[in-house]
Amino acid sequence: MTTLSGRALLLLAMLFAFGAGPAFAQEQDAHGEAADADHEEGVFDPVHHVGNGDAVEFFLGIEIPLPRILIVRNNDGSIAPKFYASTHSAIESGDFHLAPEHPAVKGIDEEEMLDSVEAADSHDAAVADDAHAADEHADGAAGDEEGVEHEPVLSYANGEVLMDLSITRHLLFAWIVMVLLYVVLTRMARKYQQGVGRESAPKGKTQNMIETFVLFVRDDIARPNIGDKAPKYTPYLLSVFFFILTANLFGLLPFSATSTSNITVTATLAILTFIVTQLAGTKDYWKHLAGPPGVPLLVRPLLIPVEILGLFTKPFALAVRLFANMTAGHIVILSLIGLIFTFTEAYGPAVGTGTSVVWVAFTLFILCLELLVAFLQAYIFTMLSALFIGMAAEEHDHEHEHEEAHA
Amino acid sequence: MQLYLAASLLSPDPGLAFWFLITFVIFMWLLRSKAWGPITAALEEREQRIDESIKSADRALAEAKQIQADNMKARREAEQQAQTILREARESAEKIRTAELEKTKDSIQHLQENAKQEIEREKQKAMTDLRSQVAELAIGAAQKILAENLDKERQGKLVDSFINELRKN
Repeated sequence: MTTLSGRALLLLAMLFAFGAGPAFAQEQDAHGEAADADHEEGVFDPVHHVGNGDAVEFFLGIEIPLPRILIVRNNDGSIAPKFYASTHSAIESGDFHLAPEHPAVKGIDEEEMLDSVEAADSHDAAVADDAHAADEHADGAAGDEEGVEHEPVLSYANGEVLMDLSITRHLLFAWIVMVLLYVVLTRMARKYQQGVGRESAPKGKTQNMIETFVLFVRDDIARPNIGDKAPKYTPYLLSVFFFILTANLFGLLPFSATSTSNITVTATLAILTFIVTQLAGTKDYWKHLAGPPGVPLLVRPLLIPVEILGLFTKPFALAVRLFANMTAGHIVILSLIGLIFTFTEAYGPAVGTGTSVVWVAFTLFILCLELLVAFLQAYIFTMLSALFIGMAAEEHDHEHEHEEAHA
Repeated sequence: MQLYLAASLLSPDPGLAFWFLITFVIFMWLLRSKAWGPITAALEEREQRIDESIKSADRALAEAKQIQADNMKARREAEQQAQTILREARESAEKIRTAELEKTKDSIQHLQENAKQEIEREKQKAMTDLRSQVAELAIGAAQKILAENLDKERQGKLVDSFINELRKN
């Protein structure tokens, strides 16, 4: 375990030293600019940058809107899909308006804004406690000239929205990661098929790097945890590891988004691990679930619910761990950058500029930490997935207690 | 507002889940056949090859050592054999030499004997020749005497001189 993490750390250090240096400077610029733009609008909102959205953002407030796809049920009961190039065009079509009850709504333009605030007000009339929040919400929205709506939920005028299948920012970046990985990895596979790496040593940086990770996942994650059945599950673990790692690292690039900082994405990944784990389950695994062996009969009824609960807490923890780690890091980075503007507003431009050195240094530190976390979380997710699969797939021996404590 | 925004981060998004699940499963399925399969197969093949190479190198080393030992042994044996052959050759050469010597001696002796016999024979022949010549001469002399009809004195002198001559011879 120590040599293993030592190796991982060394790898991180190398990547950090060679690849990440210049990226930081860009990152600073990017966030700085974005923050600046927001500052002019009067709001700097870190969560907005971390969260999902219906547009890809660049600095100076440039945004590329993403298409909206909605499955709606009309009032007459018919179900139909609706396609729009952007949220804006969806609203302009007249069929949709921003759902007032959604917390992320900040208004698309003045009219829509007013509509939504009115709707919010009427809604609030019923729930007195929400009134204050709605006012605040309206204030916040009033500050937005351009309307930086994120994950805006649309309401259908002639019925109800059954499902919102819009291509969101996180989905787009997840797809970018998948396409990138597919292209790079299939090229690598072709190289291996041509004999480089099969008959000779691997050649070039990319192949060496990918091979290092592949061998790491296979030899240090899959084999020790799953044992003889490892080859069957190694492709799944490799896909998950490479996807999470690349998505995590993508979050450190300017103007990009981290799909793994979305709870839905991490939950979907965790559900896949859950499904694979159940499919891997042997007779022993299910028997164990129905009552751990070696436990007095009277205690068994107590343990069965615990075991069943444990079945679901594992993927839940997987999902939350990855999501929280990725989200927290980004919020901290953006908050630290935001301190420059907070200080400028509070104490004047001189203090803001003067202390910016400190905040940038802090940001740099957190970015380094983020880089570490990007690798670490990819490793942990894959490692725990392998562990769960291994526990389910194992033909019996009594080491469960220890492993469960570890999980 | 903070509470609201945090809630927006935590709210599940079925649409995203739908797309992500479908695309990720396709992604995994594609990678499994197009990337991980060939890559892990190639890696395993390489590992096997390296393993085999090491094993065969070990085998080759052992074989080489065995061959070296065999060679040494063979050389030693060959040397021994060579020495035996040499010794035997020397012995046989010696034998042949002595045999030759013996033979030469024999032949020399033989030749000597032959020569002696020849000489003896020649001598006998010469004697016989001499006798016959002497007889002829005597006859010739007698003829001359008879032919010239010599007196007694002269006859006597003639016989004497003849006999003297014979004696000298």
